[in-house]
Amino acid sequence: MQLPIEWIKEYVTLPDSPRLAEDLEHRIAMTGLEVEGTKDSDIGLVIDLKVTPNRGDCLSVLGLARELSASYGVPLGSVKRNESAEVEVPPETGVKINAPDLCPRYTTRLIRNVKIVPSPPWMQSRLIAAGMRPVNGIVDVTNYVMLEVGQPLHAFDFDTLAGGRIVVRRANAGETLRTLDGEERALTPEMLVIADAEKPIALAGIMGGAETEISDRTQTLLLESAHFHPRSVRRTARQLGMRTEASYRFERTVDPALAVLASDRACTLIEELGMGDAASGVVDVYPVPPLPRAIALRPERVQALLGFPVSEETLIASLTRLGFGVVRKLTANAEGEPNAEQVRARPGGPTSSFAHAVGTGSDLAFTVPSWRPDVVREIDLVEEVGRVVGYEQIPERLPTGITLQGGDSAWGQFAERVRDLLSGAGLQEIVSHTLLSVSPYEDARTADERIAIRSALSEELSGLRRSVLPGLIEAMERNARRGQTPLAFYEVGHVFRKTVDGYSETTAIGGALAGCLLPSSWLSDARAVPADYYTLQGLMERLLAGLGVVGAVYSSREDDPRLHPGRAATLHLAGQEIGFLGELHPHLTADLTVKERVLVFELSFEAVQAAAQRGARFAPLSAYPAVTRDLAPRLANDLPYAQVTAAIMAEQIAILERFALTDVYTGANLPEGMKSLTLSFTLRALDHTLTEAEVNACMERLRGVLEKACGATFPH
Amino acid sequence: MDSLEQLVQEAQAEIAAADSTQTLLHLKTKYLGRSGSVQAQLKTVGSLPKEERSAFGARVNAAKQTLTNAVEARRERLSASETTARLLGEKIDVTLPGRPYPQGGRHPLSLTMRRVKEVLAGQGFEAVEGPELEDYAYNFAALNYPEDHPAFDEQMTFYVDDTHLLRTQTTALQGRVMSQRKPPFRIVTTGRCFRYEAIDATHHHTFHQVDVFMVDEAVSMADLKGTLRQFASTMFGGDVRVMFRPDFFPFVEPGVEYAISCPFCQGAGCTVCKQQGRIELGGAGLIHPNILETYDIDTERWSGFAFGLGIERIHMIQNGVNDLRLYLENDLRFLKQF
Repeated sequence: MQLPIEWIKEYVTLPDSPRLAEDLEHRIAMTGLEVEGTKDSDIGLVIDLKVTPNRGDCLSVLGLARELSASYGVPLGSVKRNESAEVEVPPETGVKINAPDLCPRYTTRLIRNVKIVPSPPWMQSRLIAAGMRPVNGIVDVTNYVMLEVGQPLHAFDFDTLAGGRIVVRRANAGETLRTLDGEERALTPEMLVIADAEKPIALAGIMGGAETEISDRTQTLLLESAHFHPRSVRRTARQLGMRTEASYRFERTVDPALAVLASDRACTLIEELGMGDAASGVVDVYPVPPLPRAIALRPERVQALLGFPVSEETLIASLTRLGFGVVRKLTANAEGEPNAEQVRARPGGPTSSFAHAVGTGSDLAFTVPSWRPDVVREIDLVEEVGRVVGYEQIPERLPTGITLQGGDSAWGQFAERVRDLLSGAGLQEIVSHTLLSVSPYEDARTADERIAIRSALSEELSGLRRSVLPGLIEAMERNARRGQTPLAFYEVGHVFRKTVDGYSETTAIGGALAGCLLPSSWLSDARAVPADYYTLQGLMERLLAGLGVVGAVYSSREDDPRLHPGRAATLHLAGQEIGFLGELHPHLTADLTVKERVLVFELSFEAVQAAAQRGARFAPLSAYPAVTRDLAPRLANDLPYAQVTAAIMAEQIAILERFALTDVYTGANLPEGMKSLTLSFTLRALDHTLTEAEVNACMERLRGVLEKACGATFPH
Repeated sequence: MDSLEQLVQEAQAEIAAADSTQTLLHLKTKYLGRSGSVQAQLKTVGSLPKEERSAFGARVNAAKQTLTNAVEARRERLSASETTARLLGEKIDVTLPGRPYPQGGRHPLSLTMRRVKEVLAGQGFEAVEGPELEDYAYNFAALNYPEDHPAFDEQMTFYVDDTHLLRTQTTALQGRVMSQRKPPFRIVTTGRCFRYEAIDATHHHTFHQVDVFMVDEAVSMADLKGTLRQFASTMFGGDVRVMFRPDFFPFVEPGVEYAISCPFCQGAGCTVCKQQGRIELGGAGLIHPNILETYDIDTERWSGFAFGLGIERIHMIQNGVNDLRLYLENDLRFLKQF
């Protein structure tokens, strides 16, 4: 909201300082508002004010001047107006409120002999400086008063009102209204409208109707100044996709006490500017004016919450400066009941009695001014006091109390271990988008599990990721296009899917690599080789070993549309699928900048974490020497190595410390369809040195197992 | 000077002048060998009077010991320099690049979140994780947002359905914690948040936050200020001052925006603080009693504070990064700098 300083000065005396703009900016900031900027105009400095949604009362010259008067400790000027007389409802301007829950107050005033002329230059200058466009004298006056005191007004051409009546009611189903902007609006029964005897003529608090708009032919106008329920205005405006200066203010609650004052001010201006003759009386329908709210305040509570002592005098001074009234219980009788009350408030300010005060425990209470609907309980008064006294008064102190155990969550600790291992293995961590378009890097077989954003504004932000692979591939491509290496990335991030009974949010550990992990080297024994499936397999083994996860089983994965059917594996732990790894399907890599094979993996963070939580048990160390023997079984080419390890492990040979695959030979000298493995076995006993006979017996047993379980032959 | 003394002197001079272990070995044989010149002196013992023989023998043995020591000392020196000379012959270019090791790295945001949690752990704050796909209730209703209030306008939200949304603030965790725990507690949570925002150098629809809150007996704005000072001083280095100005967030009352004195220029004005001498960090305040009451926490006994700030913002201040968009672009040229 833009306000010329010259206008504010009509209501509050500001110091004559060359640094006024700076001073104002600081003081406004310390009231909780914000100066977003200042600009020069024909009529001097204009400040651009940002008002938080709780302070609708500051959306006017008067509102800001009130805060400044409290800040500078100078009096606030009063609004210049000729006060109207309250009249009984005259027959020609009958007003009826059928929805008092949405419209607690509605006032009208008739203006006759209307002359539609341009508003004077001084008014136009102020409107322009405030960012509004001058239209005609009457419209300009209503806008001017809205900017000045914060009350939106509306002028109807009285002669166009059927029956000359105003009915404030909910719209009937099927009713429509053509608003001032020319749009035909379909109304629903939740919407509050202003109607005449027949039909809606305005959207309450938002915009008037085209048919009743004032024009050059207007002779008599009806000036509306009313209070509408903030939520009703907000809902209607949102449903119709409208936002006007009026709705913006009503949504933030307009002071209901302003209605007549604003109407008077407008009529005074209209008469002074020769635009018409206002009727002496105002119709003011206000069935249940609320009693001012009173709130008890305990000085010790102020100290406990602000953290420093504030004297009772300071409390009272601070709050009365902001327009709050003091209600004090003088003494109490023997039963502890108040027997006397004293009400002290600013002249013309709100008054109330102690008996109505919210909260207890204090003989001091404050009444809340009508323009501060945001102040509803003791803590709100504490804030007001703090704001006026100044937050720079708050000392710095470290919390006392019970010492608590700080530290990272179990999730956070495990995520750190995963990240350290993968970064240590040569992968770069990335952080990629949660919001995605449909991606071929997510499993198309479970596409119906995708969670979509409701009424998404763009395809890129249309749904939640089910996998971190799309982000990883995007990062890889972005860097490949810029010639960056190595292309080896991982991410630990949340993934989402629909389930039968709602949504699931879990964490995925994903990675993608392509090309050489290591930079090229001048050293002949360090020539970098491009990553392949076994690079990925090795990475998985290192990650799981580093996390203390044992017993991972890899099985081939042929049906994942994203992966090369011959070079992909599903990873299992304790019979449960925990993730996958493999080469990206060639039909997906064809269009990529990356020309090497792309290897990807994704694991369930939670499954890996659960497996890693089982603590390792200590195994005693043998003091006796080990014996190493090799076996070279000849096997069918398509026999998975996992079958070999499974067969050996199933034997549970106590003296078999470990074994390793040291060669796979598939070349010449072998029959068609056969391969030859070299397995190196390390044997050791815990309590004695192995004898030759024991070693031979063990090796015989291993041969037997491989023959039986894997169809191995030992030609040598 | 008799001939023995002369012999010893000559030998010492030659040993001292020996320039290789080879020469030294030769000298050792010449003087101390079985048929060396010192041994030869013993042969003259027969020509001496009987009473002098024993003393002469002792002198010869002493001379042998002297020369043996001299040879040994010289040999040690020569052998050391010969080894050095030999090893220098094996010299390589130590300025060539090394055998490469895999060089992975961490993302600056995860590093910053780790650091934030570390610093606060030292102040007794426990990290708790919350979901990114959040219930409307926790993100707004439980945080004292009135129904249909203009406060929502500031947080354009991604909705999945009527009751689920992508959290707009990590503050959403507060209700989750309070529904399960009784005070006292001190909690920190870090994570990802979402708001419909046009993307530019300082705005993004996806960003990260830390939210910190505690509830204990007699927690005041002073505890908030002190905790913020300690946190900011540790995060940014130096000793910073904390400044409050009133602001509005539905979930705190009093609500403030907090700033710190610029730790890089001690408030004098520099490029980091844009010559302001102060850096605005985020929002804070006392947890609104409406929230505590929702979770049956007695507001007469317990009170709490909360503060939040952007993870990206912390890193941008610490490292002089000038564009928020870089964090989700994952350009290695950016990531490798941290």
